[in-house]
Amino acid sequence: MAKHSTNPGVLLRRSALLAWVGFVLVCGLLALPTRRALAQTSTPAPGNSDYCLTCHGDPNMAPLTLPNGDSVPMYVSGDTVHNSIHGQLDMQCQSCHTNIQSYPHSPISFNSHRELSRSYYQLCERCHSTNYDKTLDSMHATAAAEGKLEAPICTDCHGAHDVQKPNQPRAHISEICGQCHKDIYDQYKNSVHGSALIQENNPDVPVCTDCHGVHNIHDPRTDLFRVQTPELCAGCHSNQQLMDKYNIKANVYDLYKTSWHGVDVSVYKARWPTIWHNSAVCTDCHGVHDIRKTTDSASHVNPANMLATCQKCHAGAGPNWIAAWTGHNEISLQATPYLFYTKVFYEDFAYGVLWLSLIYVVLQIIHATIARIKRSA
Amino acid sequence: MTNQPTPTSDSIKIERNFVRFTLGQRWEHVVLLLSFLVLLLTGLPQKYFTQWGYRILTTPESVLLVRQIHHIAAIVLILEVLYHLVLGILLLVRRKLSAEIFPTWQDVRDAWQMVKYLLFLTRKKPAYGKYNFEQKFTYWFLFIAIGIMVVTGLILWFPIVWTRFFPGGTVPAAHLTHSNEAIVATIFVIIWHFYHVHLERLNLSIFTGKLNERDMQKYHALEYQRLTGEKVNDNEQSRGEGGKQ
Repeated sequence: MAKHSTNPGVLLRRSALLAWVGFVLVCGLLALPTRRALAQTSTPAPGNSDYCLTCHGDPNMAPLTLPNGDSVPMYVSGDTVHNSIHGQLDMQCQSCHTNIQSYPHSPISFNSHRELSRSYYQLCERCHSTNYDKTLDSMHATAAAEGKLEAPICTDCHGAHDVQKPNQPRAHISEICGQCHKDIYDQYKNSVHGSALIQENNPDVPVCTDCHGVHNIHDPRTDLFRVQTPELCAGCHSNQQLMDKYNIKANVYDLYKTSWHGVDVSVYKARWPTIWHNSAVCTDCHGVHDIRKTTDSASHVNPANMLATCQKCHAGAGPNWIAAWTGHNEISLQATPYLFYTKVFYEDFAYGVLWLSLIYVVLQIIHATIARIKRSA
Repeated sequence: MTNQPTPTSDSIKIERNFVRFTLGQRWEHVVLLLSFLVLLLTGLPQKYFTQWGYRILTTPESVLLVRQIHHIAAIVLILEVLYHLVLGILLLVRRKLSAEIFPTWQDVRDAWQMVKYLLFLTRKKPAYGKYNFEQKFTYWFLFIAIGIMVVTGLILWFPIVWTRFFPGGTVPAAHLTHSNEAIVATIFVIIWHFYHVHLERLNLSIFTGKLNERDMQKYHALEYQRLTGEKVNDNEQSRGEGGKQ
């Protein structure tokens, strides 16, 4: 036995075994309360969204009444929060509700629901500073500065707890604008652009923000916006590839620029962009939000409605007047016979006569010079 | 038609002058010249607005001002054209104005003869009447050009009235015509008219109303012959350019 007990190799093996068993036991004991806590707890750590949702996730939670009588719902659906784009990125309530650290919450001093929203939305800047700064340059911000507090803030368009990518689907963007701009949205949704967007989820047609801008939306009623309108439309309508897809001519803008209207507008744009000019831009004839195919009987430029459209500016114009507009056509015998013959007359006949005149005069000069040389010789 | 007697003394050379244009015709030319110039100067910056016109017309008000001046000059020119037509027709009908300005086949023959002369195919220059074919060509080229400018200008000025009676497609055509014809007429005046009245010889008869005897013999032999009954020496004619000295 003694022989055995004194064997150093056996002793070593035995103590290693003991150490291993002890280690496992200690580890198990240490792990036990944690696992029990995980399995049993209904109160997660403060700062975790689930901690907040233990109260706010209860649909029966009473709303908060503010001094002006506004009732602010206190219930927030856990699914909504977790499925929002922020939830998917594992952001917690406190990322935005920075003033609430624990329970009980510190008191808030907002008089109205709007006041509360306008205070909270400013926190968007912490992550989205570029877009936030752009909004400060928008006419929505201008309206707010004038005291119109209903002017939209980030959360009005993007949502708060349910924030999602705004273009899923793309038509959603215009729907958002339509929440406030209902009349315009109603016009738009029946337009050639709007109907293609809403009914076909067309990826090419413009949504509101394509023309008006996204965060720095400016007042579209200014002289500058007006004079830049043809270029705005040309952004798509001069794109040959895109227009070919819909069998639309891509040279409408180039031809417009050579027209009476287009020359006037290009001059004003280059020289006096802040002076109002009445020469027609695209939208004056085609409509703004209610642009339709020219073949559509409701289109402002449908042959049936064309005269009335011209008369908006050209009071007293008769039915012949319509043909004074060359209709985005290149000079051709079929589309513009009068222009065609005029062009032929000047490019062939008149310049021919001028060349003959010049040749005759040059012959006279040569003859006179030779005669003079002969005389002096 | 002569207003000077024939020379009576060898020591005093009395130059005979021949009335070529009446005072009224001379004034017509001045009015035409000035209105043409004003119309051109106010029209060009509008035509070439996007290229260089904007450098001159620096404000929207200046565009309106230039357009107003253009319209005023146009009214002057239209009145001149009407005066010219009405008076011309009246005088022609009453046989108080010769119809020599109208083109004849003789002008075609003269032109052909002149081309041959300039190409050294003949030494004989054609003998001309009151107006040579070059002068007639000037008159009728500008007559038509001004007619085109007046009509198209009025279309552009009153397009709505015009389209009550005429097709709308004529309006952009009038725009193109007005724009082109202005340049054509200007180039023509510069190369054709200026050469013949300034470079070939200085002919101020449209301002003074008179042409001296030598020029009459040299450039309007048939007219000289008709007025004086004297036949111009054939050598004068055939000497061509040499007769200038």
